[in-house]
Amino acid sequence: MYQFTQQSLPACKPVLTPTSVISTLFLMGIFCIPIGLLSLHASLSVVEIVERYDSECVPHQFRLNKVAYIKDSLIPKNCSRYLKVPKYMKAPIYIYYQLDNYYQNHRRYVKSRSDKQLRYGLQYNDTRSCIPEESNDGLPIVPCGLISWSLFNDTHSFFRGTDELRINRKNIAWKSDRDHKFGKHVFPFNFQNGTLIGGAMLDPNVPLSDQEDLIVWMRTAALPSFRKLYGKIEEDLEANDVISIYLLNNYNTYSFGGRKKLVLSTASWLGGRNNFLGMAYIAIGSCLIVLALVFILLHVKNPRPYGDAMYVSWNWKGIPN
Amino acid sequence: MAGWRGSRSRLGGGGDTGGMAMTEHVSSSRTVRLGRVQPQAPGHRTVFCNDREANALAKFKGNSVSTTKYDVLTFLPKGLFEQFRRVANLYFLMISILSCTPVSPVSPITNVLPLSLVLLVSLIKEAWEDWKRFQNDMAINNTPVDVLLDQKWISVPWKKLQVGDIIRVKQDGYFPADLLFLASPNPDGVCYTETANLDGETNLKIRKALEKTWDYVTPERVSEFKGEVQCEQPNNSLYTFTGNLIIQNQTLPLSPNQILLRGCSLRNTEFIVGAVIFTGHETKVMMNAMKIPSKRSTLEKKLDKLILTLFCVLFCMCLLGAVGSGIFINRKYYYLEFSKNSDAQSNPDNRFAVAALTMFTLITLYSPIIPISLYVSVEMIKFIQSTQFINNDLHMYHFESNTPALARTSNLNEELGQVEYIFSDKTGTLTRNLMEFFKCSIGGEIYGTGISEIEIGTAQRNGMKVEVQKSSDVTHEKGFNFDDARLMRGAWRNEPNPDLCKEFFRCLAICHTVLPEGEDSPEKIRYQAASPDEAALVTAAKNFGFFFFKRTPTTIYVRESHVERMGKVEDVPYEILNVLEFNSTRKRQSVVCRYSNGRLVLYCKGADTVIYERLADRDNELKRTSREHLEEFGAAGLRTLCLAYRDLSSEVYESWNEKYIQAKSSLRDREKKLDEVAELIEKELVLIGCTAIEDKLQEGVPTCIETLSKAGIKIWVLTGDKMETAINIAYACKLINNSMKQFIISSETDAVREVEDRGDQVELARFMKENVKNELKRCYEEALQYLRTGSETKLALVIDGKCLMYALDPSLRVMLLNLSLNCNAVVCCRVSPLQKAQVTSLVKKGAKRITLSIGDGANDVSMIQAAHVGVGISGQEGMQAVMASDFAIAQFRFLTDLLLVHGRWSYLRICKVVTYFFYKNLMFTLTQFWFTFHTGFSGQRFYDDWFQSLYNVIFTALPVIVLGIFEKDVSASLSKKYPELYKEGIRNTFFKWRVIAIWAFFAIYQSLVFYHFVTASSITGMNKAGKMFGLWDVSTMAFTCVVVTVNLRLLMMSNTITRWHHVTVGGSILAWFIFVFIYSGIVLPKDQENIYFVIYVLMSTIYFYLTLLLVPIAALFCDFIYQGAQRWFFPYDYQIVQEIHRHEPDASKVGLLEIGNQLTPDEARRYAIMQLPGEKSKHTGFAFDSPGYESFFASQAGVFVPQKAWDVARRASMKSRPKTSRKN
Repeated sequence: MYQFTQQSLPACKPVLTPTSVISTLFLMGIFCIPIGLLSLHASLSVVEIVERYDSECVPHQFRLNKVAYIKDSLIPKNCSRYLKVPKYMKAPIYIYYQLDNYYQNHRRYVKSRSDKQLRYGLQYNDTRSCIPEESNDGLPIVPCGLISWSLFNDTHSFFRGTDELRINRKNIAWKSDRDHKFGKHVFPFNFQNGTLIGGAMLDPNVPLSDQEDLIVWMRTAALPSFRKLYGKIEEDLEANDVISIYLLNNYNTYSFGGRKKLVLSTASWLGGRNNFLGMAYIAIGSCLIVLALVFILLHVKNPRPYGDAMYVSWNWKGIPN
Repeated sequence: MAGWRGSRSRLGGGGDTGGMAMTEHVSSSRTVRLGRVQPQAPGHRTVFCNDREANALAKFKGNSVSTTKYDVLTFLPKGLFEQFRRVANLYFLMISILSCTPVSPVSPITNVLPLSLVLLVSLIKEAWEDWKRFQNDMAINNTPVDVLLDQKWISVPWKKLQVGDIIRVKQDGYFPADLLFLASPNPDGVCYTETANLDGETNLKIRKALEKTWDYVTPERVSEFKGEVQCEQPNNSLYTFTGNLIIQNQTLPLSPNQILLRGCSLRNTEFIVGAVIFTGHETKVMMNAMKIPSKRSTLEKKLDKLILTLFCVLFCMCLLGAVGSGIFINRKYYYLEFSKNSDAQSNPDNRFAVAALTMFTLITLYSPIIPISLYVSVEMIKFIQSTQFINNDLHMYHFESNTPALARTSNLNEELGQVEYIFSDKTGTLTRNLMEFFKCSIGGEIYGTGISEIEIGTAQRNGMKVEVQKSSDVTHEKGFNFDDARLMRGAWRNEPNPDLCKEFFRCLAICHTVLPEGEDSPEKIRYQAASPDEAALVTAAKNFGFFFFKRTPTTIYVRESHVERMGKVEDVPYEILNVLEFNSTRKRQSVVCRYSNGRLVLYCKGADTVIYERLADRDNELKRTSREHLEEFGAAGLRTLCLAYRDLSSEVYESWNEKYIQAKSSLRDREKKLDEVAELIEKELVLIGCTAIEDKLQEGVPTCIETLSKAGIKIWVLTGDKMETAINIAYACKLINNSMKQFIISSETDAVREVEDRGDQVELARFMKENVKNELKRCYEEALQYLRTGSETKLALVIDGKCLMYALDPSLRVMLLNLSLNCNAVVCCRVSPLQKAQVTSLVKKGAKRITLSIGDGANDVSMIQAAHVGVGISGQEGMQAVMASDFAIAQFRFLTDLLLVHGRWSYLRICKVVTYFFYKNLMFTLTQFWFTFHTGFSGQRFYDDWFQSLYNVIFTALPVIVLGIFEKDVSASLSKKYPELYKEGIRNTFFKWRVIAIWAFFAIYQSLVFYHFVTASSITGMNKAGKMFGLWDVSTMAFTCVVVTVNLRLLMMSNTITRWHHVTVGGSILAWFIFVFIYSGIVLPKDQENIYFVIYVLMSTIYFYLTLLLVPIAALFCDFIYQGAQRWFFPYDYQIVQEIHRHEPDASKVGLLEIGNQLTPDEARRYAIMQLPGEKSKHTGFAFDSPGYESFFASQAGVFVPQKAWDVARRASMKSRPKTSRKN
C-alpha cells in the first residue's frame, strides 16, 4: 500500500532504443515470412474450378427478360454445363454454390428468424421476429422468417462421361448447428404455402435437424458475396476429365442482378483456396524488414546521441541543426 | 401576545408597526446575490431580548444551518436532473431511448445497462458527499454554547438558539450567531475578536458594548435584562449595521461596533454576554457564503470539443449510411420483402422515411464512438489520483502541523499540470506572518548573525546545503530571532559606541504604540500591538535589557538593565509628551518624551527615505555605512526601519507644542494639519541606526518559486499589504531582483495626493484614470522596447490597488493585460479581495491561460474561486480559504510537488487515457462502419450485442484505468529536477489536435485492417471439411483481434509497466476468452442464438490462429514504427530525460531520506554570506505596517472605522474621564 500511495511500485520502464526498434522489426519480419510462405503454399495447392451459370442457363429467347423466365414456373429450368478439370483433384472435392450481390447480411434478413422455433417447433409460438414471413392463413410457418423462406433451390448433379458422380450431401453443416440449433422433432409446417413462394420446399416429413441445406443456408453469410457448401464428391477427379453438370436453375437472382456460380474445390489443411492470408503475412513481413533497413539507414545517416541533455528543448537554442 | 401588543404600543410613533415588521419579515424574499450588498428588505426586525415568547410570534429562522444540496425527497429528481445536465449523459439517454425502439439494431441492454450503472454510481457519490456535508452541519449545529435559562447558564447546542436569546461565549470560542454585544468582564466593556474567517485579517478587532449594558455580566443580573432591538433586516454587508436598542424607555443607537458576527472568535477576553439578533442562514457570514462554483478542467472542456467533433463524425457517418440506405432500398431484393405493408423503414415507396429511420438506427449502432465508460473511467482515475496519491503523498505531508495535502475536488487534477500563472497571497502563504527582530545596525556596525531564508535559498541554489542550527543558549521567542553576544546581557557597553546603543534601545522601548498586557515580568508579558513589527521591536528592546512593562496615558515605564553599571536594574519612567502617529504618507512615527532628569528627546523611526531627508547635516560617514547596511538588509529580504533621535531644548519644544495643540484641536483637516506640524519638529535628526526585521518566509518559498519559474510558471503576488511590504517580499522570494526592470504604478504620488486634497471625487477619478492610462502606456512602450531589443532584461510590474481599480477599467484592461503578460513578475499591493479575483479572471479570461490561486485567508476566497485551480493553505486556524479551495496544502513549497509531480502526471495520464479511449472506440466503431457498406446500409450490427456492450465495460476497461493510475514518464524526483518538463503541460503538448489526428489516423488504419483482413481471408472453406463461416464467426474473429490488439496497444503506449499492467492486460484478454467460451457454450433464453458455439467452431480451424497472429501484427506495426521514429527524430523532452536516466533506479524514495548535511553551521553561514549578491542593491527594504488602522477595506468602502487601538488603550487607562464622543 505504501508503494502504491507513494506511486513507487516496481515497474519496468521500456524505452525504445534504435537497437530495440530495429531488432524488433527484424524479428517480426523474419517470423512472418515463413508463416506466409507456408500458408500461401497450402492455398496454392488447392485446386478450384469456378463456373458461373446464371446467365448461360437462361434460354436465348429470355435473355432480355430473365426475370420473366425465372418466374414462369411452366418453363423448364433444366440446364447443363461442362467443366474440364485442370489438375488432379483429390477427394473429397467440395461443391459450393456462390451467390454474389446477395445481401444475406441485411438487417431485415438477419433478424427474420426464430431460433426458438427452429429448436422447439410449434411449441414455441412467439414468432414476431420472423416478420414478414411468420404466418400464413393464420397458421404459423415452420421454419418461419425470410431466411428459410428464401432457401436456395437450384439443384446440381454431376456426370463424368456417363457415370453419375455420387454426391454426398450429408455432413455439410457444422455439427453444432445440426445438434443444437435445429430440433430433431421439428418438422416443416405450412412452409411455402403462401401466395408468394420464395425458394426451396422442404420435405415435411424430415426433421429440421436433417435438412442440412436449410441449416447451411441459415448460417447467414458475412458478406454479400458468399459460398455455401452443397455437397462433396467422394471420388478423385483426374486432370482433363470433363464433368457435365445437370442443374435445375430455379433460384431467382435475376431480379436483383445477382450472380450464381458453382465451385468445385479441394481443401488443404488451411481450407479452401485463399491466397490472402499468405500474401498478407509475406507483405507485412517484408514490410517490416524493409522498414528495419530504412531505420538502420536513417540511423547511420542521421544519428542522434542517445540521452543527450543538449537535445532537451530548453537547451536546444544553442545547438545548430 | 403581551409582547406583541407591547411592541405595538411602544412603537406607535415610529411609523412602522411591529406587526407589519413581522409580516414583512416573513414575506421578505431571501434572494442573496454574491459579492453585492443586496437591497435591504423593507422594514426592520424587532427582537425582544431574553423573551422567547415574544419572539415566537415573529417566527424567526432557527440557528441550525444546512449546506446540503438535497434532502430525502428531492434527492432523486434533483440528483437526476443534475446528472442529465451533462451533455454526455443526455446523449446516452437519447441513445438508450433509441435502442428501445424497433429502429435499433442492438438490444436495449447494450445502452441502458451502462447508463444506469453510471447514473447509479454518480448518484451514490452525490449522496455520499451530501451526507458528509450533512454530518459537518450537524457537528456545527451541535456545538454547545451557554444560554441564559432561569437565571443560569445552560449549555445547549447551537441549533437550539433562538433570536433574542442571551448567551455567553467564552474565550477562544466562536460566536454561534450574529450577536448584540452586551457586556464583558473587561473594563470599558470591550472585547477583542478575531475576524480571520471573515476578512482574513489576523489582527484583533475591538468591539465595545454600549455603556448601558456593561454591567450585565452575572446570570442573575442578565436575567433582568429586557431590551428590545430594532434593527435592519438580515443582509450580507459585513461592515454595516443599523439599529436601536430600546432599554428602559431609552433609545440607544447601535453601530457595527456592538455587533459580533458569527464566524469570528473571541480573543483576550474571558467571556462576553450577547443577545442573538440574526440566526442561522440569516447571519451575515452565511448570507455571504457563496455557492462554490463547480470547476471543470480545461482539458475536460477540450474533451467536450473532442466529443463534439466525434459527434459530428458520427453524424456524418450516419448521414452517409442513411443516404446509402435510401438509395439501396428496392423491391428487386425480393428476398428482403420490401413492401408498402411492412414497417416504414422497409417501405421502398418512401425513401426519405427509410433514410431518416436508418439514420437513427445507425446512430444507435455507432453510439459507442462516444463511450460512456470514458467519463466513468476518467472520474475513477481522478478519484484514485486525488484520494490515494495526492492525499497520501509524504512529500506533501507537513510534519509540524500534522497536515497532509488534501484534494477537495477530484475534477482538477490534470489542470494542475497545465498551470501557467500562479496568483499568490502574501501573508500566511508566502510568509508566516511572523515578524522577528533579526539584525540591526547601530552606529555603523552590523549586529546579528542570523541568515535569512533568502540567503539560505541563495546558498542552496548554488548547490550548498545549509541547515541553520540555533545554538541552544540563544534566547528565542516570538518576534525575536537575534543572536549576537556583542549586544546581549549588557555586553553592548563594551562596543565602540555604547551611547548610540543606549539611544537605539530606548528608541525601541519608547517610540511605539504597543500596549503591555498581563504580568509585568519579561517572561509573562504580552504585547498588544497593531502590527507585528512593533511587537517585534519592543520585544527586542526587552531582550536587550530595556523592558517596557507599563504604559499610562502620559508615561512609559521601562525597566532598564546594565545602563549605569553592569547588573543594575531600575524602573525608569519616561513622560510621553506627544505621539506623532504613523501613516502611509509620513512613513514615520515619532514620540516626544521627557526623561526624569528633564531631558527632552524626540525619538523617530521610519522609512530610510524619509528619515534621511530629515537628518542633521553631519556624520556623513555613518550615513553612508548605514545606507550600505540598509541595502544589504533589503537584499536579504529584511524589513528595515531607520531610527533617529533629536534632543530638544525646552524653548523649541514649547513653541512647537503650542502649534501642535492648535492643530490637534482644529476641526477641519486635522490630520493634514497635524502632519504639517510634525514636519516642523521632525528635522535635524541624529541617525542612530536601523533595524532589520525578518518577515519570516514560509519554509522553502524562494526555492519553490525558483523551481516554479523554471517550469515556465509566472507568479503574481496579490496582497492587501502596502507597496513597500509587497516589494520587500517579492525581493525576499527572489521574484524581483535588482537586475530586473521594475515598472511601478502607484497612487502614492504627490500629484495624486494634491488632487486628493482638493477633495473633489469626480475630479480625482478623472485624474487617476488619466494618470493610470499614461503610466500604463509609458510602461508598455518601454516594455516593448526591451522586448524588441531582445535584451535579457526581465520585467516586473508593481501596481497598487487604487491604480488597479482604474487599470481594470474595460478601456485600459487590454493594455494592462499586455503589459503584465510580458512581465516576469507582477506584484499587486493594497488590493481588495474583489480585485484579487478581478486580476485573476483578467488573466483567466483575457489571456486564456490557466491560473492557480493560492491563499490562506478569507480574503483570498474570491481569488481562489475565480482561478481555474484554487489552493488553500491548510493546517492554520482559518478554514475559509481551504473550504473554498480545490486543493489544500500545508505549505507553499508543496506546490512544487503538487504541480510538477502530481499535476504533470495527472495531466499526462488523463491525456493518455482520453486519447486511448478515443482511439479504441473510434477504431471499434469504424469496423462497424465499414461493415455497413456491405450490408446494403441496413444498419446490421457486426458484433453481438453483448460483445459491443462489454467491450468498454470489461474487455478493455481495467488496463486503461491502470494506465491512468500508474503511468509515469519520469520519476517524481526527475520531475522536480527538470522543472522544464512541466512546460509540456503548459503547451498542452499531449492533447493537441495534432496528437488526436495521429490517433485518429491509426484508428482508421487499424479498423481497415481488422475489417478487411478478417473478411477477405474468410470467404472460402475454412477447414479440411470445407465448411463455411457465417457472419457471426467472422465477427467474433474480428472482435477477438480487436480485443487483443487494443490491449496490446495499451502496453505499447505505457512508459511504466507494473505488474498491474500485466495482470489487467492479460486479464482483459483472458476475460474475453472466458466470456466467449461460456457465452457461446450455453443456450440463452434469447430469440437468436447467433453466437452459439461460434468460438468452438472458430477454434477448430487453423485459420483462427493464423489470423489472430497476423492481424495484431499488421495493425500495430504502424504504431510501433511511428513511436520509434517519433522518439528518434522528434523526441519529447521527457523522452530525453528518460534516456539520460535510463539506468538509474527510481530515486523518489531517496528524496525523503536525503536530509543529511555535511556542513557545520558556521561553514554554511560563511558560505551563504559569500553567496550574497556582490553589487550593492538599491533596495533598502523599508516596510512597516501602520498601526491603528483597523481594516483597510472597511475604510476603503467608506465604512466607519472604529477606534484605533491606541485610543482605546488610552481611554482604558483613563477610566475616570467621561466618555467622549468618538471621532470619526
